[in-house]
Amino acid sequence: MSVRDDFPILKKDIVYLDSSCVSLKPQSVIDAMNKYYTEFTACHGRSMHKFATKTTDTYYDAHARVGKLIGAKDKEIVFVRNTTEAINIVANSFGKGDKVITSNLEHNSNFLPWVQGDMEHVIVPVNTDTTFNYEALEEKIDDKTSLVSLVHSSNLTGATLDAKRVAKIAHDHGAKLLLDSAQAVPHHAVDVKKIDADFLAFSGHKMLGPSGTGALYGKKHLLEEMPQYNVGGDTVKLVREDLSIELEDVPMKFEAGLQDYAGALGFAEAADYLRKFGMDNVHKNDVALGAQMRDGLAELGVKVYGENVESGNALFNVEGVNPSDVCIMLDESANVMVRSGMHCCHYFNMSVWHEASGTVRASAYLYNTREDVEKFLAALKTVVGAFK
Amino acid sequence: MYSKKIMELFKHPKHQGKMQGADAVGEVISPVCGDMMTVYLKVENNVIKDVTFDTMGCAVSIATSSVIADLAIGKTLDDAMKITKKEVIEYLGGVPDVKIHCGDLAVDSLHAAIEEYKKKAKS
Repeated sequence: MSVRDDFPILKKDIVYLDSSCVSLKPQSVIDAMNKYYTEFTACHGRSMHKFATKTTDTYYDAHARVGKLIGAKDKEIVFVRNTTEAINIVANSFGKGDKVITSNLEHNSNFLPWVQGDMEHVIVPVNTDTTFNYEALEEKIDDKTSLVSLVHSSNLTGATLDAKRVAKIAHDHGAKLLLDSAQAVPHHAVDVKKIDADFLAFSGHKMLGPSGTGALYGKKHLLEEMPQYNVGGDTVKLVREDLSIELEDVPMKFEAGLQDYAGALGFAEAADYLRKFGMDNVHKNDVALGAQMRDGLAELGVKVYGENVESGNALFNVEGVNPSDVCIMLDESANVMVRSGMHCCHYFNMSVWHEASGTVRASAYLYNTREDVEKFLAALKTVVGAFK
Repeated sequence: MYSKKIMELFKHPKHQGKMQGADAVGEVISPVCGDMMTVYLKVENNVIKDVTFDTMGCAVSIATSSVIADLAIGKTLDDAMKITKKEVIEYLGGVPDVKIHCGDLAVDSLHAAIEEYKKKAKS
């Protein structure tokens, strides 16, 4: 049995190298989701029948299973739709009106909440190859800074910062640390306690889970102190006659309205799958395939960005050819699926690399093989030739 | 792969570049892929005498703009408004579905420039 057998979609004749966008799903995740609909459809925390009890138990348990992947304790995981929503919760409930620092490498999900928010937003530059510049952070941070919010692993190159080190820099100035770990949690062993992160956001869809799922980790006392983001159903224990309100405990005070139970169970199953597979094994495979891709790209003479970064991502451009053309030709000619464009990092692309059309990104995950990379490189060679 | 016609026009684009003293200019930006296209028109007696495109985009954008310039030159403004996206795509021998919006870009910018010319002529 190969790991590829767990992923039914891989029966198709494809080379899927777009996992930094959306990962494929193992059968166990699909089954876990279907089970909710075929065996115990109900809502949590209200009705008293068997289906409802099962939904309540499995839904709470799903929080614990997802939390276990990142070393979180009970009541520290809030389920959300995606990383963007998790960051919006912090931006609206914690960061309001304060001085917030991000880098210039942020995905729009950890950039626009601060650009468009009413807080003072300070941007620190990373190095041109996307590795983190600790000195630049030390220079800009001061005791008025309430939050440092950084991309943990770049969705462009996969460059990963030393999270423990930035946590210390933030805490030395009395600031909290929020990590956008959308690309880190799927690809590395992440332990929120070892890092001492205050908040950490990630999505299910990049880590073998369903789309529309995600989590916000927060230190329990911070989540307790923070006001609600969405209000309404499921967030209160009681509304009295005088309209005074008794809020639910964390995390439920942040989970307004009926939840995506099937999604939550799929998300938890994905977290279990990764724990069993071993995050170090995931990372080892990523790094080996990333290196193989970057070596192959260098041989083809295309421009590689962040060439010394160790990750499963390869970011490149073929000279004189629009990235979207490369992407489409790889798909049309050889069923090789990669991503092109800005990758939601408009600011970095425009202000640092000056790539108005963006780049091409091939991103590997645990189900990719050396053979996949060979097929990708062979197809790219043909595409490069066609445009000469 | 793209059609032979697209590749040929990408490698040897026609009617590209800014035009000095243009009678009308139309600009379109694609929100999907960020392609930007500006079209310049030279018009005499309601007939399009010359068209150039300043295209920053993909092979399909570049190829369609070349084709549309060819189709528009010599036509009256009203006839040029009748050039359809379908016609251009057929001429190119088909475009991958995901790139149809890039084919639309050149037609939209030509039409925008003609509208602008008509507005100016009225005022």
